[in-house]
Amino acid sequence: MLKRDQGVILPTSVAAPGYKVELRGTAFCLVATGSWTVREAMALDSGLRRLRVPIPPTPDFTGQVDISGIEQLDTAGAWLLQRTVRTWENKGLHTNFAGATESFEILLDEVRLRSDEQRSEIAKLSLLASLTQGFANAITPISRDALLIIGFLGHLMSTLMRMVAQPWRFRPTSFIHHLDHAGLRAVPIISLICLLIGAVVMQQGIVQLKSYGAEAFAVNMVAILSLREVGILLTAIMVAGRSGSAFTAEIGSMKMREEIDAMRTLGIDPMETLVAPRILALVVVLPLLAFLGAMMCLVGAGVMARIMLGMDTAAYLDALHNAVDIRHFMAGLVKAPFAALIIGLVGCLEGMKVSGSAESLGSHVTSAVVKAIFLVIILDALFAMFLSVIGV
Amino acid sequence: MATEVAASPERPPIISVKGLAKKFGDQQIWDDLNLDVYRGEIVGIVGGSGQGKSVLLRVITGLVTPDAGTISVFGRDVRELSREEKIDMESRWGVLFQDGALFSSLTVLQNIQVPMREHLDLSQSIMDDLAYLKLAMVGLSSTAAHKFPSELSGGMRKRAGLARALSLDPEIVFLDEPTAGLDPIGAAAFDQLIRKLQQTLGLTVYMVTHDLDSIFTVCDRVAVLADKKIVRTGAPAELQARPLHPWIEEYFCGVRARAALAQ
Repeated sequence: MLKRDQGVILPTSVAAPGYKVELRGTAFCLVATGSWTVREAMALDSGLRRLRVPIPPTPDFTGQVDISGIEQLDTAGAWLLQRTVRTWENKGLHTNFAGATESFEILLDEVRLRSDEQRSEIAKLSLLASLTQGFANAITPISRDALLIIGFLGHLMSTLMRMVAQPWRFRPTSFIHHLDHAGLRAVPIISLICLLIGAVVMQQGIVQLKSYGAEAFAVNMVAILSLREVGILLTAIMVAGRSGSAFTAEIGSMKMREEIDAMRTLGIDPMETLVAPRILALVVVLPLLAFLGAMMCLVGAGVMARIMLGMDTAAYLDALHNAVDIRHFMAGLVKAPFAALIIGLVGCLEGMKVSGSAESLGSHVTSAVVKAIFLVIILDALFAMFLSVIGV
Repeated sequence: MATEVAASPERPPIISVKGLAKKFGDQQIWDDLNLDVYRGEIVGIVGGSGQGKSVLLRVITGLVTPDAGTISVFGRDVRELSREEKIDMESRWGVLFQDGALFSSLTVLQNIQVPMREHLDLSQSIMDDLAYLKLAMVGLSSTAAHKFPSELSGGMRKRAGLARALSLDPEIVFLDEPTAGLDPIGAAAFDQLIRKLQQTLGLTVYMVTHDLDSIFTVCDRVAVLADKKIVRTGAPAELQARPLHPWIEEYFCGVRARAALAQ
């Protein structure tokens, strides 16, 4: 803000802003005093808006804004003064400033110049238009995503085929790195979660079946559920959260820093070096993790059976043996590589979609996890229908 | 106007840094650093990489705490302020960070209105009018008003960041490498903008830079950060005429400096 006396530093002397209109000869004079700054703008604005423009009795009357009493002036104050001047001018009263220092004058001129500029308004849509627009905006990305993911799958397959023909293109270091990160390091968390869920399902099953006196059959329920659904689903969801998001973040940050473009210019295929090792590693590792998950579910259920039913290990294993056979086990495990493919594809594709900014990275990581989990559940439902039709 | 202010050292400084020391880990960044900035001048802070130019800006604005020393702004010790006084002081300075630091979830216009909304009680129509005015003053067209920061170019983001820094008409503006990453034409235009706004709004400008063109075209005074302190201050031409320090000599009398001065 500009001060009349530039030597003053502290504290800001807050002189109450004020104005009055008086007649000086043939000039209507708006006498402004005090501090005309953004802090006072609200009070000044409402008063100035209500101020009536004086009506000149004869055309030779003029307007004047006397600002010799203003101690502090900033852009907001200058803007209010200029707005008043403009209103008066529009009513046919020729108006000028009096008592401005050199620096005040520079500011007033700048503000007058700049406040003339055109504004762009946001285009407003009607309610119906905005609703249909919103619906269209929600639908289009789905079909586009479906196309993209199918295209990406095709691209991956052609890359894999080339790898079969030219095996030296395969990147073992990267593959093993991702086996470790997506597989081995996920073992503790997946074991723990499946153990707990197995125990919880068993406990709920026993409580519910007890009223029919059929609590021993809880073992059958939990065994089939664990092998067919819970083991694989929980594992896939965990892996989507852990590794799918990591794939998007890794590839996305490389995309952001133009590393992917750099690879292309160096004749390195990112599909071959980044995407294929990740997806292959996931396809290998997810069935193993799903197997581990299912087993941990059964362990958790066994612990609960011992606590609540007093079943010892031999009896529990015997009950398991009667309850399940190999087809239940296979029905669960067969889904794992497909789930891995989906998680890997979605994770890598979302990473490739990242554009320059960090916000875009964040939003793509989120959508990678959401889409992967959603698609895994759809896949599971399709498999459930298919398997029941073929009678497994 | 600004040079005559700088030339009279009896005037109280608007920013005064005394005996500043800071260590990061084992590394001593500064030891006994002193700096005075006077009202109405444009001061350029120069120095080699790793001398803590940007950190000094962050120390003065209270984002980083120093190990020793006093910093007074507007004659008050920044670290002895109450919460309310601190907020009041913060609304009397504006900071432009390197890439604008605009809030990514808000449009440019909303970004400019953030300080007004937080610290003042203004109606939406006044805020709109003032924000458009600020936008025009930093040389952005009104088509940028409803865009998000990610839709702007680097130079536009800096201008929008400057508009936000000027939102409450501060007395001091801190600029962190305002011309870094801009093309020469954009950088020259930004220099002119800083000069123009300084004159129009009576600003005191504290500018971290290593752009020789900016130094010679807009800075009234330059403070050189080397050997863990401010080794010299003075007008750019004066430093070039009598460097008296190996780093200053290399910086102000090198090939690029001569080219910048020749323009």
